[in-house]
Amino acid sequence: MNGKDLRPRDISIMGDQLTQLTVADLKPLPAPFDKPEMEPGIRMGKPEWAEKYNAHLDGFIAIDNFKRPQTKEEEDELVQKFLHGVEKMLSLDTNAGILQALNLSMEYCAKCNTCSNACHIFEATGGHELYRPTYRAEVLRMIVKKYFDKNGKLIPGGKKGVMVKFIGGDIDLNWQTVARLGEAAYRCNLCRRCAQTCPLALDNGLLAREIRKIFSQELGYAPIPLHEKGTQLQLKTGSSTGMSKVPFLDTVEFLDEDATDLFGEGVTEYKTPMDVEGADILLLHNAGEFNAWPENPMAFTMLFQEAGLSWTLSSEICGYDNVNYGLWYDDAQARKVAVKQNEVAQKLGVKRIVIAECGHAHKAAAIFADRLYPGKDRVPVQSFLPLMRDLVLSGTYEIDPSRNDFPVVLHDPCNYVRQMGIVKPQRDILKYIMKPGHYGNMGLPYYEMKEHGVNNYCCGGGSGFAIMNSMNFPAFRDNVAHRKKLSQILEAFGPELMENTDVPKYICAPCSNCKGAMRSIIEHYELERFNVHYGGLVELICNAMTKYSTPFMEFLRDE
Amino acid sequence: MILTLICWVALIAFIGLSVKKFMEYGKMPQHGRQDLYPIPLESDEKMHYGGSYMEDDKWYEKERHHNLKGEIIDMLVEMLFIKKLFVNQNNFWWLSYSLHLGMYVAIAWSVLMLFGAFLPAGILHTAAVLLGTLCGIVAGVLMTVGCIGLLCKRLFVKEFKNYTTPQEYFNLVILMATSAAGLLVWLGDMQFEFGRNIAHAMFTFSPLSAYYADGVPVMLTVFILLLAFISVYIPLTKLSHYVGKYYTFHKVIWDNEPNMPGSKVEANIIAAQSKPKDPNALKWSAPHWNPAPPTEEQK
Repeated sequence: MNGKDLRPRDISIMGDQLTQLTVADLKPLPAPFDKPEMEPGIRMGKPEWAEKYNAHLDGFIAIDNFKRPQTKEEEDELVQKFLHGVEKMLSLDTNAGILQALNLSMEYCAKCNTCSNACHIFEATGGHELYRPTYRAEVLRMIVKKYFDKNGKLIPGGKKGVMVKFIGGDIDLNWQTVARLGEAAYRCNLCRRCAQTCPLALDNGLLAREIRKIFSQELGYAPIPLHEKGTQLQLKTGSSTGMSKVPFLDTVEFLDEDATDLFGEGVTEYKTPMDVEGADILLLHNAGEFNAWPENPMAFTMLFQEAGLSWTLSSEICGYDNVNYGLWYDDAQARKVAVKQNEVAQKLGVKRIVIAECGHAHKAAAIFADRLYPGKDRVPVQSFLPLMRDLVLSGTYEIDPSRNDFPVVLHDPCNYVRQMGIVKPQRDILKYIMKPGHYGNMGLPYYEMKEHGVNNYCCGGGSGFAIMNSMNFPAFRDNVAHRKKLSQILEAFGPELMENTDVPKYICAPCSNCKGAMRSIIEHYELERFNVHYGGLVELICNAMTKYSTPFMEFLRDE
Repeated sequence: MILTLICWVALIAFIGLSVKKFMEYGKMPQHGRQDLYPIPLESDEKMHYGGSYMEDDKWYEKERHHNLKGEIIDMLVEMLFIKKLFVNQNNFWWLSYSLHLGMYVAIAWSVLMLFGAFLPAGILHTAAVLLGTLCGIVAGVLMTVGCIGLLCKRLFVKEFKNYTTPQEYFNLVILMATSAAGLLVWLGDMQFEFGRNIAHAMFTFSPLSAYYADGVPVMLTVFILLLAFISVYIPLTKLSHYVGKYYTFHKVIWDNEPNMPGSKVEANIIAAQSKPKDPNALKWSAPHWNPAPPTEEQK
C-alpha cells in the first residue's frame, strides 16, 4: 500500500506485506551523497521468509524469533494471548511502575502530529505513514477502545455497535494486526524526541516500548540479539557479549600490557584494579568495548590511574558489563540486570558506581533502576562525564590542544543527554582539549550538529537497533534509522571538508551503542573513503596529553 | 427554573468531574522515572540548555534546589500560549491557539458577567459590562474560527483525516456549535445582558424566565443547553487535557526527583513494597517471568 494513504486500521488488512519502502521514498542526503549512484540500495528479505516469519509489515524483520502461525488455532491463540498482554499492560497488578504515564499517553493524544515533525525515522522515510510516531500508538489505542472497558478489563469478543466506531475503536483484530504491531514497535528508536516536542508531553516512545513489553513479557517474542543473546546471556555468563570471567580478566590484562607498551614510555605500568574492596569507584564499562573498541577502556585505565583515583572494575556476573538491554523491551530482564549490578557494588563496598561511555547503561542504572528499591539499598550511580570534566579542567592532566588539530563533530547520546540532562561536561572537555581556530563551528573548536544537546537526533542505533543484525533488519537501520544522523554529520563537516580526504574527520560518540551505529553508518555508506573515523571522548583526552609521545588515535599514528 | 438548575448542574458537574479525574490520576502509584530535559525545576543556569543535577560529580552529596520560579514560568507560558506547539508546529498553533484563547477569554467573560450581574451601577459595573462585551465577542469569534479551522484541517488534510475519529469531529462540532450559538444570541443582545441574567439567576436561585417578559429566547435556551452539555462532556473525554497536562509535565517528564535515603520517593517505594501480595493478581506469562524451578542438575 502507498505510504501516504496508509491508515491505522489498514494494519489489519489480511494478506502479504502491507507496504514497502523504496530508495525513491527516502529523503535525499546532503552532498556528497546527493548523487543517485551514492545511495546504497535497500536489501529486502527473502520471499520465503513470509511463510515462516513475520515479514508482513514492511518486509523487514526485527523480531526474529517470531514464528508465523500455521493454523487457524494458532492464529486465534496469538490474538488471545496478545489481548491478555494488553490487559496486563493496563493493570496495576502487572504494570504499576508505568501506569500513570502510560494512561496519560493513551488518553490524551490530540493528533496534532507535532511529534511527527520531530521523528528522524518519519522524516527519513519521506513521511511514510507507517513510520509516523502516532501510527502504532493509534493502532494500540484502537484495540484498547474496542476490547477493554474503562477499567482496563478485557471484554471477550470486544465491544459491538456504532459507539465503538464513534470512539475510534474501528479495527479488526487478527493475527496480522498483532504481528505487524509487534514489528512496528521496532521501527522506533525510543529516543523520545517526539515526547519532548509534544504540547501535551505524551510519549510515543513509551507506547512503543509497552508493545515490545507485551510481546516479550506475555508472548515470549523479542529480538534474539536483545533477549536470548542479550539479557539472558548476560545473566548467565556475565556479559551480553558472552565473555565470561576468565576471558574478561585475560582481556583486561592484555589491554594493560598494550597500554604500558604503547604509552608507558618505559616508566609507567598501567594496571586496571580488579575487585578492589572498599574502592571509591566501581567503573562499569559496556563489555562490548573490550572486544570492539578496546582503546576506550584502555583510555579510562590510563586516565584514572594518572589521576590517582581509588577505583576498581569487577569480575562478577554483570559487574563487568554495564549494558541492560531490558531497558528496551522487558521490565523483568531490566530489573534483574540492574539489581545484580547494584549487588556487585554493594558486595565490593564501593562508594559509587560510575558509568563509562554507554548511553543506555547510564539510563538503566541511574534512571530506570532508581526507583526499584529503597534509596538506602542503592549505591549511588553517576556518569563518568562530570568526573572527567572536573579532572580535565582542574589540570590533572597536562593537555596540549594542538595535538587534537583535526575536525571533530560531537554526537549527543539521547539516553544521557535528553533523558538525563548531561549536556555541558562533554562540551567543557572538548573546549579544553581541542585546538581552537582551525576547525569547528559556532565559535567552538569542534563541530556541533545543527540540532544538538537535548534537541539532538538519535544515532539510529538506539533501543537495540545497533546490535540487531539478524535477518534483514540492518537494511532498515542503515537506510532509514541512521539517515538523519548521517545527514547531520555531513552537514556539520560540510561538503568541502568531507571531500578533502587528506583531513581525517572524527565523530565523537561517547556511547557504545552510538559507536555501533557510527560503525554501521561508516560501513554502509563507505565513509572510509572520506577519511571519516569515530570513537569516544576519553580517547581524545588521551590524545591531547603531553605525557604520551605516541598519538593515542590510531589513524594519526598511521600518518 | 429548569434552565437555572441545568446551569448549576453543569457547573457542579464540570468542577466535580474534573476534580474526580484529577484525583484518579493523582492516586495512581509512583512510576519509574521518565525524565525528559529541559526540566525547568533545574537551576536557572542549567535549565536554559537542558542540564540537570546529574552534571555534577557526586551529585548525590549535593543539596538540590528546586527552581520554583522556573517551574511556574514554564508552566504559565505553556498554559497560556501553548509554547511547544508554537515552536514545533507553528502552522497548527494558529488554529489551536485561536480555540484555546477563545476558551480562556470565555472564562474571563463568565467572571465579568458575574461581576456585572451583582455590582451596583457605577464605574465598575460599566467597566464589567464593556469588558464583558469585548470578551464575549472575542471569545465567540476565536472559538468559532478555531473550531472551523481545525475541522477543515481534519476533514481535508489527509495526514490529519486518517487519524481523526468520529468522536474527535464531534468534539470540534459541539464546541463550534456552542460558540456559534453564543454569537447568535449576542446578535439580538449586543451587550450580553443574557450572560448577566444567567449569572444573576444562578446566584439568586431565580428562574431565568423572570428576566424575559416574552419567555427565554429559543436561541438562548439552545446556547444554555449546549453549554451545559459541554460542561459535563469535557471532563469525561480527552478534552479534559487541562487535567492530563498537569500530570504529564509535573509528574512524568519533569519528575526527576532521585530516590535518596529518607526521601518521599523512598517512602513511596517502601509503602508499595510492604503491601500484601494478592495471590489472584495478574502475572505475565512469558517463560522468563515464570522460570521453572531448577533441576537437580542445575542445583
